[in-house]
Amino acid sequence: MLHDAGMLPRLLLALSVMSAPSRVAFPAELRTLPQDLHYCQELVARLATLPAGVQQPARGLGEEGELLCRTGHIRTGIARLRRALRVAQGR
Amino acid sequence: MPHAVPLAAATRRRGQHPGPLWQLLSSAGFRFALLFAALFLLAGLAFTGVLWWGTAGALDRQIDAAIRADAMALAERWRDAGDQAVADAIGERLALDAENQTLYLLSAPSGQRLAGNLEALPQGFAPDVQWYGMSLERDGIPGEARLFVLPLPDGSRLAVGRDVEEKLRLRALLTEGLAWSAGVALLFAFAGAALLRRALERRLAPVTATAALIAGGDLSPRVPLSGREDEFEALGHSMNTMLDRIAHLMEGVRGVSDAIAHDLRTPIARARNRLEEALANADDPAALHSALERGIADLDNVTRVFQAVLRIAEVEAGARRAAFAPVDLVPLLEDAAELYGATAEENGQTLRTEWPAALPLTGDRDLLLQALANLLDNAVKFTPDGGSILLKAELLEDAIVVRVSDQGPGLSLEDRERVGERFFRADSSRNTPGSGLGLSLVRAVVQLHGGTLWFDEGHGESLDKPGLAVCFRLPLA
Repeated sequence: MLHDAGMLPRLLLALSVMSAPSRVAFPAELRTLPQDLHYCQELVARLATLPAGVQQPARGLGEEGELLCRTGHIRTGIARLRRALRVAQGR
Repeated sequence: MPHAVPLAAATRRRGQHPGPLWQLLSSAGFRFALLFAALFLLAGLAFTGVLWWGTAGALDRQIDAAIRADAMALAERWRDAGDQAVADAIGERLALDAENQTLYLLSAPSGQRLAGNLEALPQGFAPDVQWYGMSLERDGIPGEARLFVLPLPDGSRLAVGRDVEEKLRLRALLTEGLAWSAGVALLFAFAGAALLRRALERRLAPVTATAALIAGGDLSPRVPLSGREDEFEALGHSMNTMLDRIAHLMEGVRGVSDAIAHDLRTPIARARNRLEEALANADDPAALHSALERGIADLDNVTRVFQAVLRIAEVEAGARRAAFAPVDLVPLLEDAAELYGATAEENGQTLRTEWPAALPLTGDRDLLLQALANLLDNAVKFTPDGGSILLKAELLEDAIVVRVSDQGPGLSLEDRERVGERFFRADSSRNTPGSGLGLSLVRAVVQLHGGTLWFDEGHGESLDKPGLAVCFRLPLA
């Protein structure tokens, strides 16, 4: 019974571990380009070309995103700008 | 209690004394409950498995469909308008990717990156393989990519993919949940099985306790009933009924021995006395001879009495009720009439009979025939030569009534009370042979069949011989 008692939790543990995504202990096989301030500005320019881009609420979101980018929060800023673009396009 | 244990296993595991786990496993109640629990667990796992596949699997299919649709749209674009158009389209899509999940790459035949957010094609890239799943690094964040690579006619390659980290996390969540629920279900299974086993034991305890007491030799205990109307109660009821029956039968057996001892004492004593007397006056060989003959006749009588007493006691104990079967009284009446009709004819008596076509009831054929025979025997014995005997039976709504009427001396009212007693013989019948057991048997048989016996005036034609009618009624059911 002692032998049996140890198996079950171990089995359950193995099951959960196997299904977890493999953490990168080795270099990833695929990499995206790093997002930078340049891309931020690209998005800002894109937003400006849209008619709804200069109106609220897209405009507010865009300004927030730009500010975030400039203060160093590139990823968050880009995400905000992309949302602004979606709102501007009515999606 | 465990008796089907392989010897090796038993000695290896537990030595001489079965531990509590082994006792648990050998309990039928526990195994039953465990079987149910296992089935339940299996069903639960199957359900969860299907659910898991339906969610995680559906998610996979959904993502792949989206990727493929996207890739086809972009390929269409390339066919229509070339590289630049695709690059623009990719830029457009990326600009709207607020969730930061899409992956694109357009690479020239040379391998140069033309558009998209991927650095390059995957390291393990093979030209004939379209679908890839691999680790991803997105701005330093690890993730998992699902990628579709489409070769374009001019040798360029278009890769479209998604970051499926979220999906994998969901799958991990589901798997963990599945594992937990399986564990909990297993716990419930064991707990439930143990509980069920205890409940079964508790419900069976009164029965097993009573059985143990009875096995010890005391027939008096009965299974205590709790009043619940369930299967265990029914078992208890059956056991009690069975025990009552056994007790009754044993009483009957005791009764038979008592009756035999009591009833045979007199005839045996009488036979012995007569032989002793004969011995005392043993001078005359002829007298001795006749004394011996009388002794033999007495012993024959004892045997007859013994058999009759046994039969009556048997009948009174109800021992033969178990052998009851559907029987038609008419053939029995015919047999009895035929048997005694001949004797009656010899005596110059007439036997009149009257009965319907069929008289169905439930009873013992032999006993009923014996009763009829006894009544006809009496009737033939007591009716004077030239007289008549009547055997009549009629079918009422819920009973059969049989009447045997003679033209003999009849019975006074006081005698009618006593005539059921064994060995009673009315004064008027002292001169006729018989042991006085005939009517006893008839009464016992009638009672066994749930009927009643009574007497009436016969159809005698003279004042001193009014005759006797013996009637009995047998219920049909």
